[in-house]
Amino acid sequence: MGIAIGIMVIVALGMVTGGLKQSTTSTLKAGAAEINVMQTGSGNFGSGRINETRVADIQSISGVKETAGLLKATNTSTSGSSVSTGSTGTSTGTGTTSAGSGGSGSFGGFSVTGMDPGKLSLAGIENVTGSLYSSTSENEVIIGKTASTDLNKSVGDTINLFGKDFTITGVYETGSFMTDGGVFMSLTTLQNLTSNNNTVSTIAVKINEDANTTEVSKSIETAYPNELSTTTAEAMAGRMNSALSTIDAASWAISLLAIIIGGVGVINTMIMSVFERTREIGVLKAVGWKERRILGMILGESVVLTIIAAVVGTIIAVVGVVTLLAFSFGGTIQPSFAPEIFLEAFVVAFAVGIIGGLYPAYRASRLSPTEALRYE
Amino acid sequence: MNNQNHEDGTMDNGKNIIEIRGLKKSYDDGTIKALNGLNLEVKEGEFVSIMGPSGSGKSTLLNMIGALDIADEGTIEVAGIDLMKTSQLNEFRSKEIGFVFQMHNLIPNLTILENVEIPMYETDLSSKQMKDRAMELLKAVGLEDRADQIPTKLSGGQRQRVAIARALVNRPSIILADEPTGSLDSQTGDVILKLLRDLHEKENVTLVMITHEPYVGNMAERIVNVLDGKIQN
Repeated sequence: MGIAIGIMVIVALGMVTGGLKQSTTSTLKAGAAEINVMQTGSGNFGSGRINETRVADIQSISGVKETAGLLKATNTSTSGSSVSTGSTGTSTGTGTTSAGSGGSGSFGGFSVTGMDPGKLSLAGIENVTGSLYSSTSENEVIIGKTASTDLNKSVGDTINLFGKDFTITGVYETGSFMTDGGVFMSLTTLQNLTSNNNTVSTIAVKINEDANTTEVSKSIETAYPNELSTTTAEAMAGRMNSALSTIDAASWAISLLAIIIGGVGVINTMIMSVFERTREIGVLKAVGWKERRILGMILGESVVLTIIAAVVGTIIAVVGVVTLLAFSFGGTIQPSFAPEIFLEAFVVAFAVGIIGGLYPAYRASRLSPTEALRYE
Repeated sequence: MNNQNHEDGTMDNGKNIIEIRGLKKSYDDGTIKALNGLNLEVKEGEFVSIMGPSGSGKSTLLNMIGALDIADEGTIEVAGIDLMKTSQLNEFRSKEIGFVFQMHNLIPNLTILENVEIPMYETDLSSKQMKDRAMELLKAVGLEDRADQIPTKLSGGQRQRVAIARALVNRPSIILADEPTGSLDSQTGDVILKLLRDLHEKENVTLVMITHEPYVGNMAERIVNVLDGKIQN
């Protein structure tokens, strides 16, 4: 039981952290912007306000290949729609929305991003099933795969955002659970809808192949001191990976504890088994079994016991994690089924089986045959 | 057998398969003297009953012959092997000795066939050869049709027959039987004794049997009485 719990913890946490890591890696995919520019002091992505002219201004900085302005808004599920654009926290829009009802996208709201359709690759969107919206379109959007699944919407369907109906022209998938949980529409349309004309929340910057990300970032911040700040995708991924490493370490600590408890359980179970079968072991010695064979038999049983526990623990973990992630996070985090997670769990189970069975096996192999045969 | 029986347990004619001289074994730091300078010779192919009261040293003697225990003093040579000197006691037991215990001591979660196969795991036989040999012995004890059953499905007498098959499976030189009918009713006991005697004659295997019952002891070619750790004949 202890081993099953230990293995369950290893597999479950491995699947979750693995899923998060895959998502993080996907955000770094080729083609996406290397630098994100925000308003200084705005904190989180999407909460600042930058004059749209800066999109063209940054384009002229040395090393910059391409820029794109993004306006991010949240279409909340219960109190209408809102867009946070700067420290004033302007909240606009009214109508109730069907799009937010699933809680998809960013938790507690539905992410809507305005962006020039020709620049979508800077947001990591490379392939779209269907077609893109046009830059002048006022009633077209493309929807992320996760949001599409959660809201049961596909190409040709209508979605209500900020009290207005939009036609879905395409479905995209980036692998990033945040991006795939929202929709993209024309920048101008979202600016009009949220009364943020000539304003963007962030500027995505793609640099030349021979340029240095850190140097270009510094150049942008130096050109617009106290106005613009930058975050590189690399640094962001590093922070996320650091957080995931902490989760990894915590999961290993929990697993280790469970394994120690499980290991003691295996030792106890096998010692009890040896006690109960003392007479049987005496018979095996009487018929000529060597100590090595008896040692192997008890060790083998110990390993089989832990492998069975590992199978049970793995099944519980897989069913539990898949169910939990499907219902608790709206499917935005996909569990990882990387073979190394399961391999790791079974290697641990095997090792616990060997270590836990070693002492009982040694005891059994050293039993005196006459004493073992007299054992009642 | 026309061997002359001496009072000290030694004999005149034939080749000895068991030779014991001045064997001593004590327990509890010497306070219990189980064997006290015991001498015994058993000829190849002989059927010997060892009799004596409880605590006389019968079982200790049998354990010494079967190399389940080591003596403190004396010499003991069985099937040409000096048991006081060899370190290959497991191999000796596997090749030369077949045990039949009072309580059959079958392994409950294994089938009858597997129970009979157990002693062969230390040999070089293939699994098919092991199965064939085990079936041959099960046939000899009349239980070939019960091969796939577990011991709990058998009666006491049938279990003891399986134990006899197990004892003979490696073609040992000596069968050591420790009160093989002790836990059986007299009718079943007779069947087991007859089976043991028949197999002893057919396989020409030496049979050394401990018993309390004079009636059982008299079935042997020679009776050896043990008292206070010595042969009393």
